[in-house]
Amino acid sequence: MLGQVVVSGLLVGALYAMVALGLALIFGVMRIINIAHGPLLMLGAYVTYFLYQGFGLNPYLTVPVSMAALFLVGLALERTLVFRVVDAPELSSLLLTFGISIALVNAAQLAFTSDLRAVEYLTGAWVVGPIAFSKSRVVAFVVAAAITALVFLFLTYTRPGKAVRATSQSREVAMVCGVNVGRVYLLTFGLASALAAAGGSLIAVIVAIQPEMGQIWTFKSFLVIVLGGAGNYPGALVGGLLLGLVEQLASLLLTAQLSEVVAYVLLVLVLLLRPTGLLGGRQT
Amino acid sequence: MKRAALLLLAALGLALTVYPLYGTGYGVRAMLQLFMWVALAGSWNLISGLTGYVSFGHVAFFGVGAYTGAILIVRAGWPWPAAAVAGGLAGILLALAIGWPCLRLKGPYFAIAMLGLNEVLRALVSYFEGLTGGGSGLSLPTLDATFPIYYAMGGLAAAVTGVTYLVLTSRFGLRLMTIREDEVAAEAMGIDTFRHKLLAFVLSAVAPGIAGALAARDQGYIEPISVFPLATTITMIVMVLFGGKGTVWGPVLGAVALFVAQEAVWARYPYVHPLLFGAIIVAVVLLMPRGVLGLLQLRYRLPRAI
Repeated sequence: MLGQVVVSGLLVGALYAMVALGLALIFGVMRIINIAHGPLLMLGAYVTYFLYQGFGLNPYLTVPVSMAALFLVGLALERTLVFRVVDAPELSSLLLTFGISIALVNAAQLAFTSDLRAVEYLTGAWVVGPIAFSKSRVVAFVVAAAITALVFLFLTYTRPGKAVRATSQSREVAMVCGVNVGRVYLLTFGLASALAAAGGSLIAVIVAIQPEMGQIWTFKSFLVIVLGGAGNYPGALVGGLLLGLVEQLASLLLTAQLSEVVAYVLLVLVLLLRPTGLLGGRQT
Repeated sequence: MKRAALLLLAALGLALTVYPLYGTGYGVRAMLQLFMWVALAGSWNLISGLTGYVSFGHVAFFGVGAYTGAILIVRAGWPWPAAAVAGGLAGILLALAIGWPCLRLKGPYFAIAMLGLNEVLRALVSYFEGLTGGGSGLSLPTLDATFPIYYAMGGLAAAVTGVTYLVLTSRFGLRLMTIREDEVAAEAMGIDTFRHKLLAFVLSAVAPGIAGALAARDQGYIEPISVFPLATTITMIVMVLFGGKGTVWGPVLGAVALFVAQEAVWARYPYVHPLLFGAIIVAVVLLMPRGVLGLLQLRYRLPRAI
């Protein structure tokens, strides 16, 4: 039983880590918590749904498409709205992205209705001994891990990636070194939206799709960042896996109904006892 | 000037006091709703407008007050005024439980904690089905108390506005606004920022708790969806932002304007108006961050504490 919990927790944890990495990047670079992160994930899920339903495309092949589409949406949002509040008080950026999130969710409701939709693909599980590996979750884990690894390679070895890290360490010093900070913001926001979209596409195969599915992901992604330490990008990985484990454990010991309550209590406890995150903050 | 304003306020109070004797049934109910929105918007303004800490889940206090009141009325047979007071106390307790860990830190922790709070409370209400009735809700014994609740809600709206005035014109209010403008500077000046934020937050949770219990009594039936809707928080935020955050009359102005618009126009387009709310928030934040009253304040040199 415990083995099953660990496996399920780690499988979903990789998804949490990937989606949260997007939120962490925006927070690290722009000092903004993007409340619309979850709704962007929801849009990614719809891209996959419509490509699967309309063209019979393999849902996993739609991941790059939805990432590219939401990358563009992210660029547009940053260029028209979000860049205006980078230096504004926190209240402005929180409220602005909150407004965007409401608009996205309700636009989706108007366009796609509130009906639950499902991508029925790769159902069932591989059973190894006493443990069942849900097929769609295993594939989601592999894809999420691969994308996350690519993002870390990008951040570590490429010039734009280094510019992103430099800006998140110190904007002023990055500017002095010739980094075009405005472009880094744009790139970061696009990349983060693409990560949310990848999460949405992978989740689309696992759970039902509806316009309000995204909001809880903003909260969970933030929880992952807090667990790992704000500004600490590898921390998001640890935080994601940890959140997955805790949630699975909670549904085993209590009921699945309370897994969100347990996640919430976890957030409050971490804020009380170790607000810099379990790994300590800001070591980018 | 000040005397004229006071006279105007007294006349308004008198008119609203005698209104139920002459108004139609619909009119009285609409005014009751409006009072509730004034109280809710004013409460959100107390924490978010004054300290700059955004509460994305203020409806939680409304819902907790509603459930506390309803449970006490149904299971313990309390009279509704006592249940309303208990609703306010429940709001205070919840605010302490959330504010204690989250307001000690600067930054977005508080906002996100409030964002998740709603889901959590909804899950808890469904889980403790025996007490709360779960998803099937809780029916209160029938009782026609529209008139007394009209006065109670009106008194609540007046009290929230009055408290906002007192806070805004006090040293306490000045310290809150210092925290909003520059928290590090506030600390350097010796302000115990945590305590001030927590006190403002607790203050902002009382009226929603009472209003929730009153609304539960008034409607006679509550369920998780009806007392924890995200839409209520959104409406509060839009009202305050539109009217002018950090002012006394901004939330009142916003509540009246949006309530009238909602009743007159948007009720016919139920799906468009949440979308519009999102757009209004974005537009107000970017184009007129001080709201309508803020613009008027700048243009006509109105006093700060308006």
